[in-house]
Amino acid sequence: MTLSRRDFFKAAGLAIGGALITAGPTLASSGEPDPNEYAAMLYDATICVGCNACTNACRQWNETKAEPDDRQVYDAPRELSADTWTMIQLYQGENEYSFVKRQCMHCVDPACVSGCPVQALQKTAEGPVTYDQSRCIGCRYCMYACPFHIPRFAWDTAQFPVIAKCTLCADRLKDGLPTACAEICPTSALIFGKRGELIAEAESRISENPARYVDHVYGKDDAGGTSVMYLSGVPFENLGLEDLGTRAIPEISEGTANIILPGVLIGAPILLGMIRMTARRGGWEDTWPL
Amino acid sequence: MAAITRSNKNNIPMVFWPLLFLTLLGVGLAIYRLVVGLGVSTNMNDHYPWGIWITVDLFLIPVAGAAFTISLLSYFLGREDYHSIIRPAVLAGFIGYGIVGILLFLDIGRWTQFYNIFVPGYINLHSFLEEVSLCVTLYTLILILEIAPVFLEKWGYNVPIRWIQRGIFVIAGAGIVLSILHQSSLGSMFLLMSHKLHPLWWTPALPLLFYLQAVYTGLGATAIAVKLIWRALGLPIDRVLFRRIGQAMSINLMLYAAIKVGDWMGAGEVPLLLKPDTFGLLAWFQFLIGIVLPLAILLSKLVGHTSGPFWAGVFALIGTFIERLVVSWIGLAEPNPVSYFPSFTEIFITIGMIAGGVLLYGVVVRYFKLFPDPEHAHA
Repeated sequence: MTLSRRDFFKAAGLAIGGALITAGPTLASSGEPDPNEYAAMLYDATICVGCNACTNACRQWNETKAEPDDRQVYDAPRELSADTWTMIQLYQGENEYSFVKRQCMHCVDPACVSGCPVQALQKTAEGPVTYDQSRCIGCRYCMYACPFHIPRFAWDTAQFPVIAKCTLCADRLKDGLPTACAEICPTSALIFGKRGELIAEAESRISENPARYVDHVYGKDDAGGTSVMYLSGVPFENLGLEDLGTRAIPEISEGTANIILPGVLIGAPILLGMIRMTARRGGWEDTWPL
Repeated sequence: MAAITRSNKNNIPMVFWPLLFLTLLGVGLAIYRLVVGLGVSTNMNDHYPWGIWITVDLFLIPVAGAAFTISLLSYFLGREDYHSIIRPAVLAGFIGYGIVGILLFLDIGRWTQFYNIFVPGYINLHSFLEEVSLCVTLYTLILILEIAPVFLEKWGYNVPIRWIQRGIFVIAGAGIVLSILHQSSLGSMFLLMSHKLHPLWWTPALPLLFYLQAVYTGLGATAIAVKLIWRALGLPIDRVLFRRIGQAMSINLMLYAAIKVGDWMGAGEVPLLLKPDTFGLLAWFQFLIGIVLPLAILLSKLVGHTSGPFWAGVFALIGTFIERLVVSWIGLAEPNPVSYFPSFTEIFITIGMIAGGVLLYGVVVRYFKLFPDPEHAHA
C-alpha cells in the first residue's frame, strides 16, 4: 500500500536531516498501531431510514444545541456546523434516493492532524481524531486541509471560538462504550466495531447481495483509509463522497517537509558560506550574471 | 500645501491626514474585531474559513521579500551597487512583515494563546503553517537587527552598531535561510489541498513556484519603490543597478515559466487551459500579464531604462496577486455554493494596517537616514 512510500520519504528525511529535525513527529508516528484495530463505524446507506436518531443521540451525549427550522418545530440542521457534529442528509435522484450520514471520517492518516501547527488535533492510538482546545490557536487550517469538509468553526463565539467535529465518542470508548450514534441506531444501518472486522462485514454483505450494493467499501482504502466506512446502492459521488484516490492526503506534504526542512536548513547555510568564501578570494563578482 | 521634500521638515504633507485617518479607523476596527469575534465582524464562514486577510498576507510576504532578495544579492552575490538600497528595502520588509503579523493575529480565533506556536511540546514540524509561523517570527527579529543601525546611529549608540556590523553576514545569512524556507513553505501549505485547489494551480512544485515568485516579486517591488522614492527625493537613479535588477528578475521569471508550463503539460492540464471558464481565463491572464509581458520587457532594450524594470515589476506584481488570490481564496471552492466577500471591517482593517505601514515608512524616511546623500549616490 502507501506505507512503503511514506517510509521512503521518512528515511530520506532522516538521512538528510539526521535526528535534528525528524526526531519528534516522525519517530512518534513510526510506532503506528494497526489500523485494523482502530475503533470504527460502518454505515449502510441501503438500510438507513433517515430517522435522525443518531443526530439526537450525538446532541445528548455531547450537549450540543439544536438547530430548529424556521417554524421552530423540528431540529433541522441543513449541514454540519459547530453545533451539529453528525446528521443525515438526503440524496434525491431521478429514479432513486438515498440517505447519507455525515460526520468526521477519522482518517487513518488525517490531513487535519498533519496540518495542525500546534498538535491540537491528534490521531489517538484507539482510532479517534481528537481536538484539544487548550492548544488550538483558531487558525482554521484544518478546515481547508480536510478533504471531506468536516471541521467547523464556532464563528458566533466572540471569546474564544473552538473547532468542532465528531470525536468518535473518544470519551465513551474509554469506558468500553460504543459511539452514541451507533448505539441508538434502530435499524443497525450504523454499526460500531473494530475497523478490520467491519471491512470483512462490509465485503461479505456485498458478496452476498451484489445487486444491492455498489461494489466498493468507501473508506477501506479511500484517502489512505478511514475509520468511518460506507456501503451504498447509489454511486458514492451522489452522496458527496468524492473519489479521492487511495493515497493518504498528507503524503506529498509530509514528504516535502521531510526533504525541504533539513535540506534548506543544512544546504542553504553551506551554500551561502561557500559563496562568501569564494567572494573573499575575489575576482568573480564582476562576471556574475546578476 | 507642502510637497514631500527634505527641505520642508516642518510642514506636514497633505497625504499624512488621510493616512492617519485610515490607520486610526483600522486600529479601532481591529479592537472591535477582538471584542465581538470573527462571526460578527467578518464574512468568513465554514465554507470560506480564510478571507481577505490571508490573501493579503500571501501577497505581502513575497512583496516584502524585497529585503531578502536585496540582502542576498548585496551581501552574498557580491553586488556592492545594491548597498544603496539595502536600508529602504529592509525597512519595507520589516514593515511588510509587521502588517502580516498583525493581520494574522487578528485572523486567528484563539488569539490569547497565539504563543502556542512557540511551545516546543506543541510544535508540529510536519505542518507547513507552523513552519511559516516560526520562520516569519524569527525573520522579523532578524529584520529588526538589520534595520536597527538606522535608529541607533541617530541616537548615538555606536557600540551595538559595531556588533551588528561584525555579525552582519551571519545575521543576513540567517535571514536568507529563513526566507527561502518560509517563502517556499507558503506554497507547501497548499500541498494538503490537492482535492480542493484548482488543478491549474495545484502542483507538487508549489514550494518551488512560490519561492521563485517571491524572488522576482521582491525584485519587482524594489524597482517600483526605488524609482518612485528616488524620484520623489530628487536622487539620481542608478541605471546599472536597474538593469541588474531587471536581469535577476528575468532569470527567475524564466525558471517560473518553465516549471509552470512543464507542470501543465506533464499533468495533462492543457484542456483546462482551453476551457473558457473563470479559471482558464485567469490562468492565461496570470501567465501573459504576470510572466510573459514582464519577460518581454526585460529581454528587450527597455531593460536599460529605469522604466523597463519598473513596468516589469508592476506586471509581475499583478500576476503574483492573481496567483495568491486564486490559491488562497477563489480557487479553493467547496461543493457547497456559499459565497464570500470581505466585510467592511475586514476591508478597512486591511487598508488601515497598510496605511499605517506607509505612514511609518514616511516618518522614518523623514527623520532618519535611509537613503544615500545625492552627492554620494552612484552615477
